Amino acid sequence: MVNHGHSAILKAVKWFIVLLLALLAIYPLIYTFISAFRTLEEFQTLPPYALPRSLYLGNYIEVITKSSIPLYFLNSMIITFFVDIFVLVFSTTASFAIAKMKFRYNNIVLTYFLLGLMIPLQCCLLPLYLVFSDMHLTNTYLGVIIPQTAFGLPLSIYLCVNFFRFLPNDILEAAIIDGCSPWRIFLRIVIPMSRNIILTLALLRTVFCWNDFIFSYTFLSSKRLQTITLGIQDFVGAYGYTDWGRTFATVSLTVVPILIVYFFLGKYMVSGLAEGSVKG
Amino acid sequence: MRGLFSKKSTILSFLLPALAIYTAVVFFPIIWSAYQSFFDWNGFSVKKFNGFDNFIRLFTADRNFWPILIQTFVYTILQIVFQVGGGLILAILLSGLSFGRSIFQAVFYIPVIISSAAICQIFTKLLSVSPVGIVNTILGLINPEWEMISWLTIPKLSLVMCALVEGYKSMGTYMVIFYAALIAVPDDLIEAATIDGANAFRCLVSVKLPYIRHIIIANVVLVLNNSFRSFDIPYLLTAGGPGTSSELLASFMYKRSFSSMQYGYGSAIATVIVLICFILAIFCMRVFRPEEG
Repeated sequence: MVNHGHSAILKAVKWFIVLLLALLAIYPLIYTFISAFRTLEEFQTLPPYALPRSLYLGNYIEVITKSSIPLYFLNSMIITFFVDIFVLVFSTTASFAIAKMKFRYNNIVLTYFLLGLMIPLQCCLLPLYLVFSDMHLTNTYLGVIIPQTAFGLPLSIYLCVNFFRFLPNDILEAAIIDGCSPWRIFLRIVIPMSRNIILTLALLRTVFCWNDFIFSYTFLSSKRLQTITLGIQDFVGAYGYTDWGRTFATVSLTVVPILIVYFFLGKYMVSGLAEGSVKG
Repeated sequence: MRGLFSKKSTILSFLLPALAIYTAVVFFPIIWSAYQSFFDWNGFSVKKFNGFDNFIRLFTADRNFWPILIQTFVYTILQIVFQVGGGLILAILLSGLSFGRSIFQAVFYIPVIISSAAICQIFTKLLSVSPVGIVNTILGLINPEWEMISWLTIPKLSLVMCALVEGYKSMGTYMVIFYAALIAVPDDLIEAATIDGANAFRCLVSVKLPYIRHIIIANVVLVLNNSFRSFDIPYLLTAGGPGTSSELLASFMYKRSFSSMQYGYGSAIATVIVLICFILAIFCMRVFRPEEG
């Protein structure tokens, strides 16, 4: 403000720090993408920061044609799709009841759901595992979809209730006077007005679900049903020897879909989460 | 007007599906665990009631429990430093930029959306010693001795490394929250401070940070609660090792329950974790509520 030279240096330092941090934040990812093009020999001979000598596609080809990764991909997509649908249906309906309906326990019900944010989910795994084995739900898609849905509800309901509270009551009242049934009001008025929150919830859940490790790890032992996060470890040998080329090709393949979604719709994801947290 | 619909059957039709699945999957198992923790049971043997034996064994005989509990606390404190501190610094830097804020915010947020499984594989390679990974290569340029530090297999370092990786992954979440809070600080407050002669740094320390202190506290509570149940990163990056040097309560419980099939004992550890989480939550609410009013 006073001294121009001084503030210019300060500005340069600030930009340098920001750029350095940004590089640190994405370097692991850049490294992954680059390494996926390395040959086995290049992993042993080239220094870790060097670019591969050619655009070697062998790792990708091997992973896509000869491994189970495409199958894992499909499994992850099926599981994520159904978890998204279930979480959206259950959390929007319950949130609508909590935010807009008249009963004595609105806040108690909300608190009950929010308690779920504090429960360490690992503590539920053993009982769930035993019950699911009895019901033959382990090693089925449903065995992962059910717990993923249930544990997705607290955050979704929290964000959704916050959103529904701000829906104007007079529109809903007018619809009641016109003789609309509650479900019709919900489907025809509330849902169309809630596009943003629905998108936010769906995106958050997609990321969490796609990235989930512990539920798939616990409930899916069959190779046929495993998900992409477990598949990342398929190329780690028994004695610590890892086929890094294929591992990095797999990691790249798992990250790219999420990055694409994030690139186009990240705003909804980030803003929804931040807004929910600040308001709460 | 408090609510629009009051017919019980309508309310239930909206509420019941979520309530049912949540109760069955999230709440019921907690109660089940608490009950099972009073039994000696491994899945095959006959279930035998043994009172508080599991807890007594955990607190007095299990040499792993107390160190792991302390490690979990250390890990949690490191998370608060890395995630809340790091997130706050990133947010402050971000809000000080004259352009490109949204691009940098997007970049800083990227680690949050990558799975822990992927992050652990990447960092295993980045931190490796044989062959020398990139981190050690760079450190080797500064001091050749540093080139051979094997970050993940030195007992004193493994826990800190896990905490660092977890911090790297999760920092972005808190940055976003802090950033939203920082740009919501009313302009007139900042103007008033500037007129009074405060420079940018003074403005930050005396105006902005006090203004967002509730958010800072809320984030500390969030991180506290989240890291007490951390599992993925230590489990995948170091497998809790070497020895049990980076083991946390959650992974300890998981291994006891699933790998060694000590169902009753595992349930007792699970119950202790749940109790600690609830005590922490109540403590946080008690401590921080008066300030919020």
